[in-house]
Amino acid sequence: MTHRHVVAWLVLVLAWIAPRGAEAYPQFQFSSGTERCADCHFAPAGGGLINMWGRNEAGDTLSTFGGNGGFLHGLWTPPNWLALGGDLRNAFIRNDVGGAASPEYAVFPMMAELYLRGEIPDTGLSLYVAGGYRGNVRSGETGAGNLEAFISREHYVMWKKASAKAAPYVRLGRFYAPFGLRLVEHIDYVRRYNRYNLYEETYNLSGGYLDKDWEVHVTALTSPPDSFPKSLGASGTHGSGAAAYGEKRFLSMAALGLQSRFTSNEEQTFWQWGGIGKLWIEKAKLLFMGELDVGHRAVKFGGGSATQLVSYLGATLVPLQGLFVGVAHERYQEDLHISRTARNAFDLEVNFLPFAHFEFIALGRYQLVGSGQSDGQPARMAMLQFHYYL
Amino acid sequence: MTPATARISIAVRILMGALLPVMASCGQSADDRPTSWSYISTTIVQPNCATANCHATITQRSGVDLSKIKEGYEVLLNGHFVNVDDPGGSPLLLLLRGVGNRRMPPDFALPNADIELIERWIAARAPYDGPGLPAVSP
Repeated sequence: MTHRHVVAWLVLVLAWIAPRGAEAYPQFQFSSGTERCADCHFAPAGGGLINMWGRNEAGDTLSTFGGNGGFLHGLWTPPNWLALGGDLRNAFIRNDVGGAASPEYAVFPMMAELYLRGEIPDTGLSLYVAGGYRGNVRSGETGAGNLEAFISREHYVMWKKASAKAAPYVRLGRFYAPFGLRLVEHIDYVRRYNRYNLYEETYNLSGGYLDKDWEVHVTALTSPPDSFPKSLGASGTHGSGAAAYGEKRFLSMAALGLQSRFTSNEEQTFWQWGGIGKLWIEKAKLLFMGELDVGHRAVKFGGGSATQLVSYLGATLVPLQGLFVGVAHERYQEDLHISRTARNAFDLEVNFLPFAHFEFIALGRYQLVGSGQSDGQPARMAMLQFHYYL
Repeated sequence: MTPATARISIAVRILMGALLPVMASCGQSADDRPTSWSYISTTIVQPNCATANCHATITQRSGVDLSKIKEGYEVLLNGHFVNVDDPGGSPLLLLLRGVGNRRMPPDFALPNADIELIERWIAARAPYDGPGLPAVSP
């Protein structure tokens, strides 16, 4: 292979590699033998940088052909007080929503993100910072470039009782207030319409308790003020409020959670109540996951209000280690009073993790408005993703 | 049928059975929601359009920020997206219906009921009922 071939290959790989934030995979709970998100992640409710146990699991139980899940594939191990990582994710999408410009095709980086966590030994105190570049789906039209601007989605200080299976914690900074299933894809209705869409992380003071078979998280939250630089900005205008999430696990195979969230800004108040459920059937290698949330929005001007419903119900088959095949139905009705405001989505998702650090994802989605074509234009989406983490 | 396909079949059947009651639409078909911008902005425009890749404050694609009632109103009127003399020909509605340009939102069309509500608001000469006084009027 000539030098030119090597350079071309590297360019191709780098162009394809694509970043987005490291997220929790709720499919891993129970199916991998691990019961709690916090067993593998530093964050108490999961998501973001994985710890040493999580890195070992990445090679031992989460990938088909194993590998070294350590930082830099184990070439260098940071000291115990320091953890580093990164995520790169790229995507190809075919999107058909009808109309003059459909279907559209795009290859785009979703986000490039690096993570740093440092702790003061024997105190339980730590600092966590995630920073990266926002991806841009339609860079050709916007002229903003594929990687548009720097943003830090998460940065916080935390105290967590060190080296304990049952642990209280307190966390202060920017992150998603624990709520719901915490699915990876931000387009899922239970994220998008529950105010957990991309870059909707809020500034929070959060506390909770993690036990072997139950956990609880309570959070006071507020949106980044408009005066903050865009690198600390957010989408969505939540205002301020609070969120609570509690989860009880049963027999290492099931979980039930309850959640609520309230936010208010100068325009509206928004109350949300809901719950989640998970059931892992070991013999069938099947994981069922569901979430149902009702939200009531009261508009402070004009006297209008609406009660919305968001739901997710899915089944994931794990035919072999490192392969997940999932089907799901999603529902969003923006006003339960008006039947024609409903949307249904049907998803097919395949996640393949051949080796530690590598993941391939295929996602198909069909969305339907109301009861059919007369209520709105259906949409079809197919996406391929390549994901690499350091 | 292999064990794997049998498992998938069982999963799909259980899922579809569980979905039947969920998929049945709730509510009435007649639309008596308020024809007001504050309602349209908070319940329709902000959740669907003011997202990270589109018209949130941090991105403002095409200079359009739809994340607040007042600013959203001003940008739609200043940008001539709303034509109160020809509601159906308003560029905003043409975008929402995917006529002559990319459909908005680009990932999934709004329900016809929402587009019709916005059209009724424009036909009522796009009144403003949000906080403060907008810097523009129809």
